Amino acid sequence: MPRDSVRVAVLGVSHPPANKWAKRMVRPAAVMADVPDLESGALMAEQGEVRTYYMGDHAVVLHSGETAHYIDNLRAAQPSLWVSCDDDKVRLVTADPYEGEAMASDPEHLVEALAMPRAVVATIEAFIDAHHVHEEFYKRKRVPATSQYDPRAPRILSDNEKWVQTRGKAGLPPKGAA
Amino acid sequence: MTTASTAQAKPAKSEHEMLRAQQWSLIASLLLAPPDRDTLALLAGLTGDDTALGQAYRVLAETAATADVDDVAREYFELFVGVGRGELLPYASFYLTGFLNERPLADLRRDLAMMGVERAEGRFEPEDHIASIAEVMAGLAAGEFDASVLGCGAAGEAGFFARHLQPWAAQFFDDLAVAPSAKFYRSVAEVGRIFVDIEVRAFALEAKTQRTSGSSAQRA
Repeated sequence: MPRDSVRVAVLGVSHPPANKWAKRMVRPAAVMADVPDLESGALMAEQGEVRTYYMGDHAVVLHSGETAHYIDNLRAAQPSLWVSCDDDKVRLVTADPYEGEAMASDPEHLVEALAMPRAVVATIEAFIDAHHVHEEFYKRKRVPATSQYDPRAPRILSDNEKWVQTRGKAGLPPKGAA
Repeated sequence: MTTASTAQAKPAKSEHEMLRAQQWSLIASLLLAPPDRDTLALLAGLTGDDTALGQAYRVLAETAATADVDDVAREYFELFVGVGRGELLPYASFYLTGFLNERPLADLRRDLAMMGVERAEGRFEPEDHIASIAEVMAGLAAGEFDASVLGCGAAGEAGFFARHLQPWAAQFFDDLAVAPSAKFYRSVAEVGRIFVDIEVRAFALEAKTQRTSGSSAQRA
């Protein structure tokens, strides 16, 4: 299966806690196509109490089997990358909206859908052009018993549908024998 | 199967009812297990008149006289046991729905429970095996079982037959006659097919007679 990957940098923003019991936490806030030369966790900017951190870079892996999902993503009003973090560490960045929403259903992880940079959009478009295979949607329906496509077992098993012994006494050597 | 019966009164049955019971028993025993040497010898002694059924019995006798007991056992294995599955699946559920152990089996079990008939210990075939239903028919014909408790238009022997055997038995015997391995069992299929046809017509005739006599009784 052809794969491709793009590295992206994730920025996190930490707001002051809303009450004195809450702790400061870093939420992913933006994705950059250019990876800066910084240590992950570096403070990038501070405006009053709002701090911007560099959360590190991560690969967005593109799979050829999921191009239909990427098309859905690019057709949206705002194409997004889903970033999943736990404890300020970026665990996964994906361009597949269904994978992203599946991650978002897990309360253990912090998942944000962030705007996809133009450069990444261009890479994904090129990937789709190269690898997308269009599959017509096929709604499966019950097949009537009289149909020739009836999946039921045959009433009478014919001779060529039967299991026959071909190995051992019947001729061929047993499987695994030299 | 069909050992315990709660039918207490055993009304005297006419001779032809007992003969019907024997025919059902014969069909059941041949489909339940391959016949042994003694059974084949007995079958070879059968005679028949010039009716279709009689001719079928004559053919069965001739086939039984020349059949080898091991070949018949092998043939039975190919037809009903097989590797993976036999050539035929002699179950009401399979013939009526295309799948095993479906609603027809549940219906049959409910009816048998109402009649007080249950599977004998050590018999593992589901009750909708044709041999089991044929045994029940034999019991009904001989008066050992009583199907008058069944409701929903299935009461009595005719109702039981119409509900559990008539929809598929003829088709099954047709299939048995053309199954690739059937040789001895082709003649069994002939007998079974003709006998089921006779039963169908006889039950229809009986119902018609009852209807006309019933309506004339109302008019009288």
